[in-house]
Amino acid sequence: MALRAAVLRHIRLPVQTLPAAGSRPQSQLSFLRLFSSHDDHLTKEEVIDRVLDVVKSFPKVDPSQVTPDVHFQNDLGLDSLDNVEIVMALEEEFKLEIPDKEADKIDSCNLAIEYIYNHPLAG
Amino acid sequence: MIGATTAAYLARRAAQQERVRILYRRALKDTLNWAVHRHLFYQDASDLREKFEANKHVEDLDTIDKMIAAGEATYNKWRHPDPYIVPWAPGGSKFTRNPVPPSGIEIVYDYGKEDND
Repeated sequence: MALRAAVLRHIRLPVQTLPAAGSRPQSQLSFLRLFSSHDDHLTKEEVIDRVLDVVKSFPKVDPSQVTPDVHFQNDLGLDSLDNVEIVMALEEEFKLEIPDKEADKIDSCNLAIEYIYNHPLAG
Repeated sequence: MIGATTAAYLARRAAQQERVRILYRRALKDTLNWAVHRHLFYQDASDLREKFEANKHVEDLDTIDKMIAAGEATYNKWRHPDPYIVPWAPGGSKFTRNPVPPSGIEIVYDYGKEDND
């Protein structure tokens, strides 16, 4: 036992420095298994990508005009009822339940992305 | 037109538009509750949209009010008895299931170690 401790004390492994340049917190987080349902918040880029995908796949929308700060009624030429439909599609995409008053105010991609990003339970 | 663009007229119009939007939103969710399969839902949703679009050009405020009231009555009549609610929302199955524990409470991890060990 003492011999083992003495041997272990004298063995040194070469220290390997992890690549410091361009450390990717994203990929490190993706290897972590988070067992609580309240820890895995979405990143902003993920939210933006998914919101833009939902808006682009709306049949009345021209996909080439969709940017992260586009206004649904002013820029994309949609109706207020189309706005309601888009908000419902976003609710389905992110498994959210947006109250009626809040959903009425979501008028542009900006607001949608902000709301979803700040929502603690956005799936 | 009497008071075509007065503030009261515009305010009333804006309130009506908001009521219409909220009614459309609830009716659409209800349609999704009733018609679970997507192809049926799309047909029913476009029928609902047609009904809203047909009355789009009405100008008279009282007629609009009556139509909104009629629409809300129809919505109340057709409400689904068991709507799909997102689990963590009020009315869902996970609502207040795991509330956040009050702050200031900590678990001391001593694994049963006693003082005379």
